Amino acid sequence: MRDEIAEVVRYRYLLQMLVRRELKVRYKNSALGFLWSIVPPLLQVFVYTFVISGVLGARVPHYSAYLLCGIIPWTFFSTALLDSSQSLIDNYGLIKKFYLPREAIPLACVISNLIHFLLGWVVYFIAFMLVARLKKDGGIPLLPSLIWFPVLTMMEVLLVTGLSLWVSALNVFYDDVKFVIQTLFGLLFFLMPIIYPSDVVRVMRVMRLHPWLFKLYMLNPVAAIIDAYRKIILEPISPSHFNHIYAQDNSLVPSAPIDWFNLFITFLLCLLAAYTGYRYFNSRKWQFVERP
Amino acid sequence: MTEAAILPVPDNSATLAIEVSHLSKTFLIRHEPGSVKRALIGLLRKPRIEHFHALQDVSFTVPHGQTLAVIGRNGSGKSTLLSLLANVYRPTAGTIELRGETGGKARVAPLLELGAGFHPELDGLTNISFYGAMLGLTAEQMRAKRDTIIAFAELGYKVDTLVRGWNDGAKLRLGFSIAVNTDPDILLVDEVLAVGDEAFQNKCYRLIGDLQAQGKTILFVSHDLAVVERVASRVLWLREGRIEQDGDAHQVLQAYRHFSTSESL
Repeated sequence: MRDEIAEVVRYRYLLQMLVRRELKVRYKNSALGFLWSIVPPLLQVFVYTFVISGVLGARVPHYSAYLLCGIIPWTFFSTALLDSSQSLIDNYGLIKKFYLPREAIPLACVISNLIHFLLGWVVYFIAFMLVARLKKDGGIPLLPSLIWFPVLTMMEVLLVTGLSLWVSALNVFYDDVKFVIQTLFGLLFFLMPIIYPSDVVRVMRVMRLHPWLFKLYMLNPVAAIIDAYRKIILEPISPSHFNHIYAQDNSLVPSAPIDWFNLFITFLLCLLAAYTGYRYFNSRKWQFVERP
Repeated sequence: MTEAAILPVPDNSATLAIEVSHLSKTFLIRHEPGSVKRALIGLLRKPRIEHFHALQDVSFTVPHGQTLAVIGRNGSGKSTLLSLLANVYRPTAGTIELRGETGGKARVAPLLELGAGFHPELDGLTNISFYGAMLGLTAEQMRAKRDTIIAFAELGYKVDTLVRGWNDGAKLRLGFSIAVNTDPDILLVDEVLAVGDEAFQNKCYRLIGDLQAQGKTILFVSHDLAVVERVASRVLWLREGRIEQDGDAHQVLQAYRHFSTSESL
């Protein structure tokens, strides 16, 4: 494995070119160009804010900020995996006619999506920190726990890289992978704490009766990472804001602090994903161009 | 058959650019089920997978500076051999060694398919940088060579237009121009020159002559025997994955022509 990594490092300039090509080609024929990486999440935020706060009447302070904190890491995760699942097929002509370390192709997908992801955060911080401050209602304060931001990002990159290597290699042999991902992601979006906080799940009746169920729910590394992003960036939000059933006696149910132990397990899972993904990719990469 | 007689067999292997020994390549061929019913039956049975021996026990060496043409009928393993040399396939058995003139790892420039490596949605200039990166060149090295590459390819105004609007000739000219102008040790060419117009083809042969004079090693596949005769000094004839003949161009070509006529009768 060490030799394989050294080979990718040797071809780092090609990797850089692949990333640039990825970024360039994606918005090549669109009038809005780069804005397309920012517009869809913003539209999502408007729609969900309308539904959750407006229609369903959840009274959550700064709900759109809250939502965006979940949507940005989710978009990175889902788009990177969707892109890389197709990447080897899209570049089939390349890997069939030239030598290059083949993992560079899904890696380029991950890196270009990471760039969009970081850009998304830049937009987020500019919008909510500065604009909210102009409104003089105090806005959203910068929390000291933000120093954990790079750690969470590193964990998500590990996870996304590992899973990208898995799906890109699998998709060469089984077309089903793409369909499974598309179907799964539509459902996972609602199952994971993206439009609501994990605390709402924690205080559900069934979860309170069986606390291990909630532990199982949070073992999902994506859920754990998204929830942690939120908790380090924003003030805690009481689940009562979402569902007034839990606020019968007019006192708010407190939000749970970050579960560091669970986050450590998540880190190990991310490492496992990266390690097994690369192992599997390497075991298959010479068969890509000669699949039976 | 006609072996070794005209080939210099140096005992110092450092002078060899290409050293292929006992090379074999086997592909797995899956027969498609054809219908849902047969696919369902197929679930119970083991899938019918057949082994196709594209190359079997092929050994040869090429000294630095030699031009070797590979000929043979369709499906004789020519392209497989080139893909193996380009490190796109892994050998099933046997070894391949490619050396640069200084003895280190050779820089190989493959030209295996027309337009391969170009992205249709990018312009010529971007594609040149990308292609260079694939051949292992850095940005500075590419910048230094860019003007030569563009001039040789006769791209003119096309250079900053999208490649998807180009004709085959332009793609060929750019691919060939990059491959030969980036100073490779070994050039691998698979039957791509045929689409260029006559003037460009002549230019290519002149350039191939220059490369030969510079001592570059060239290995190419062609069905055009006149071209083979003109360019190569040595010919390797493959038949059903094995070497049928390997030797002096005239002798092998004569035998091959004789064989082709008798086959077609």
